[in-house]
Order: sequence, then C-alpha cells, then structure tokens
Amino acid sequence: MSGIARGRLTEERKAWRKNHPHGFVAKPETLPDGTVNLMIWHCIIPGKAGTDWEGGFYPLTLHFSEDYPSKPPKCKFPQGFFHPNVYPSGTVCLSILNEDSGWRPAITVKQILVGIQDLLDQPNPADPAQTEGYHLFIQDVTEYKKRVRMQAKQYPSLI
Amino acid sequence: MADELVEEEFEPLFDYRRVQPKFVYVDDDDSDEEPIIISKRQKDGKGGNDGIPQVIICDDKKEGKEEEEEDDWLPPPPKFDANAGSKPPEDPALKELRLLKQELQTCAQSARDWLQSVEDSAQRKVSSPSQSLKDAPAELPKPQYERAKIVISIQDKDGPKQFRVFLDDRFERLFKLYADRVKLNLENLVFTFDGDKVSPSATPESLGMEDEDIIEVHAKSR
Repeated sequence: MSGIARGRLTEERKAWRKNHPHGFVAKPETLPDGTVNLMIWHCIIPGKAGTDWEGGFYPLTLHFSEDYPSKPPKCKFPQGFFHPNVYPSGTVCLSILNEDSGWRPAITVKQILVGIQDLLDQPNPADPAQTEGYHLFIQDVTEYKKRVRMQAKQYPSLI
Repeated sequence: MADELVEEEFEPLFDYRRVQPKFVYVDDDDSDEEPIIISKRQKDGKGGNDGIPQVIICDDKKEGKEEEEEDDWLPPPPKFDANAGSKPPEDPALKELRLLKQELQTCAQSARDWLQSVEDSAQRKVSSPSQSLKDAPAELPKPQYERAKIVISIQDKDGPKQFRVFLDDRFERLFKLYADRVKLNLENLVFTFDGDKVSPSATPESLGMEDEDIIEVHAKSR
C-alpha cells in the first residue's frame, strides 16, 4: 500500500474542492457503507461550448494505481464511447496520460480533465484508438459531426 | 575556585527549576512540571512531537515575554567577567558550553513555537468536535459559543463569488442572496455541489461542506 498515492490524491481532492473549472465534477468513489475510495474518481466533463460536444456531460472514471503519481491514472469513458482516440473499452488515449510519453507526476486531476475536454473536439488522427470514430472523422466529416451531436444528447445534464 | 566556576556555569544549563518561574505560565497549574520536561526532551535532541501540546498555553503575549526573559536566562555578563578575570585563561570548555546553551535555547524556542502551532490546531479541533468539517471559522475567539460560519464560493461560467454564511443556515437564504446580487431570477437557477443538486432546505453542514468549497450555479434553460 503506497501512502504516496493516497496522500497526493487527498491533496488533489482538497485543491479541486476549492477550485475547479465550471461544469466539471470530480469526486472519489463513495462505497455503499459510506467509506471513500480515493483510488477511483467519478468525473463529469462538460462538452465545450460552441462545439458539437456542447450540451453533453460526459461521465469519465479515473482509476489510480498505487504507483500514482509516478504512473498516470487510467481514464475511461463508458464502453463504446464515440471518439477517434477512445478505445472500444472506453479508455482514453492521450499523450499526457501515457506513462512513456507525456505523463509527468506534476500533472493535476484538473489538467487531466481539461486536457480530455480539449481532446473531445480536437481528436488526434495520428493516434486512432477505434475504427468507427476514426474512419468517419477521416472520411465523412458530416456524418462524424452528426454522430457527435447525437452522443451529446445521450449524456444530458443530470440537473 | 575552578569547581565553583564550573558549578556556576552548569547550574542554569541543567537546573531548570532556577529559570522555571521566568516562563510565567500564570494560568496553568501544571506548568511547573511541563516546561522542564520539554526542555529536557529538547536537550536530548528529540523532536518533541510526542509532547502533549494542550498543556502549554502560549499566547502571543506570553511568547513575547518569554523572548524578553530569555536574555536574562544567561548569566549576566559582568558577573561572568569577574569570575573569568580571576582565572585569566578562559576554559574553552566553558565557552563551548555557553554556545551549546544558546543553541539549546533557540532549539527550545522553536520547539515551543511548534508546540504552540500544534496546540492551536488541536484547540480548534477540540472546540468543534462535532463539526470536523469547519476549520477556519473556529479561529474566531469564542467559536463554541457562536454559530460557526463558512465561506462558500458560488461559481458561474464567469467565475466564483464568495459568500460567508452560517454553517447551519439553510441554503435558500444564500441562493436568494446570490440571485439578488447577480440580478437573476432564482427560479431559473440550479445550484449543484459535487455534481448533485443542492436543496434549498439543506445546510452547508448537512452537505459536509468545508471552507471555500464551490457551489456551481447553472441556468435552468439548459
């Protein structure tokens, strides 16, 4: 059991409570018995205003390992999430979340979530993670945008 | 002669009873014992973090006094000169001891400061055992007799606005205050905390809110 991961996550949570971007949610999982599991966070990323993603509130789960922050958390949208850089399992493929490329231990939860929000409207075609989203993005932009707007409606605000 | 001298040098260093009254823990009966223990612990080079902080009550006033008194703690220089004069080659061991003593004093002072900060935070917790969630409001002079307050940020797309409310005050009052301030109809606003809608009948306490927590406000039309 690493105290480092938990210590850092406690700090991350504390910082988040006092300052986070509007519309975002990030909170550690609360188990049925009321105890808090700091290693799994349930988050919501709002689609950026003025993009096809606007109006969607996309649920994302962060899975931290005991090696955090040496290693990045695994970030997962729901299975089958439509986006060129999201694996069929829902796992987000993003350089800053890759231990071997862009991840640095100093990257905060806030930076991760904002980074993923940016990725939604700015997919990286050099690094596809699913066929459907990738092919439509490359070959049929109209259909791609339609699919994105449909998905936004699938994830309405919960309030 | 030499023995006398040594004794005189050693006495203030090890016999803390002699200096004890100068620490003036006026309102604490137990203090006769405690500072000695702490000094000794410090002498041993231990951190002293196993000390029981609540015993020593150091407020700013006393601390200032302590610092003043500390100069007297050392044997008055003239007296020492007289002794030294009668024994011209000053023992280097004594010099060393004096330096050591000064070092210990600074050490003890920093330990006292540290203990005080621990004690302050402990007092804050003790004074509000049932409300571990509030911290800053407890710094008020008499937190246990006053309704605890909390600072809450209400954040819209343009940024946060801070409000100071009672910890046990229902949110409807705060929401109204906010709507008035931003000149919007309360009917069209939805307030959320950690992604959950906040009921007007809830209180910061009932949601387990901490100082400077953020409540988000959304326009209902969305």
